[in-house]
Amino acid sequence: MATKILSVDDSRTIRLIVGKAFRPYNVTLLEAANGEEGLAVAAREKPELIILDVTMPVMDGVTMLTKLKEDPALKAIPVIMLTAESGRDNVLQIARLGVRDYLVKPFKEDQLIEKAGRCVTLEKKPAPTPA
Amino acid sequence: MSPTIQVPNICEFMNRHLVDVFETMLSMKATVMPNAGMPPLEERVTGSVAFAGEHITGAVYLHLAKPFANQVAAAMLGLPPEELGEAEVNDVVGEATNMLTGGLKSWLCDSGAECAVSTPAIIRGSAFVIEPVPDVLREWLVFDCDHNRIVVEIHVKVG
Repeated sequence: MATKILSVDDSRTIRLIVGKAFRPYNVTLLEAANGEEGLAVAAREKPELIILDVTMPVMDGVTMLTKLKEDPALKAIPVIMLTAESGRDNVLQIARLGVRDYLVKPFKEDQLIEKAGRCVTLEKKPAPTPA
Repeated sequence: MSPTIQVPNICEFMNRHLVDVFETMLSMKATVMPNAGMPPLEERVTGSVAFAGEHITGAVYLHLAKPFANQVAAAMLGLPPEELGEAEVNDVVGEATNMLTGGLKSWLCDSGAECAVSTPAIIRGSAFVIEPVPDVLREWLVFDCDHNRIVVEIHVKVG
């Protein structure tokens, strides 16, 4: 069965890059464009991992994570935060929120796969058989 | 504590950071062209993100010629250029500008000049010039990337 991963980011570019990174793996990628949509998708689909942007309109990543941790049905889902800001204060704030890991943009797809692989099982899709 | 941010330090940081963003996200090698003039104002896609704080305000503009912007978008998304529309290219250039300015924000904050950044905006066209308001310094940083030009324009007011 495919691993369900939720990508929450207001940038379609980042959601596409996340999708590209997981393409070789048996993963169902769910998407949301802000924290509010992300919470709704998480409640409905119960993903095994959430990749969450920090700065988003409507509801930012910090607020979504806080609400996620308050919900007994969702609080155990591991979260990897994605941030464009690597400053000390920003990283400390993220660490205090109880995230499993974080990744600073720009990032390599390999780094994302490595961090996700520490949270969930990632199975490679079988290579297509030649016709 | 009053921060001691100097414009040359901002440029030095941005020279390193742009090379890092292009290498990490696109596997493209960008090289600083220290004394290059502003390239011709051909049709281009420009991303902009502003930053503002108590000690510093300004904006970062990333100028790419339209064909190169399409190439960058294709590389970042792993899609063939013919599958990309204007919206996808705009989104990629906006995100690249966001990464550049996000890195600058972190560097400024760690240097004692806390600031916030805006969401990205895109300008498309040719022969346009972005004029800074009085007291705002403007710097041009020009890079070569496989014979394409990348221009980062920084507007900054310190203090």
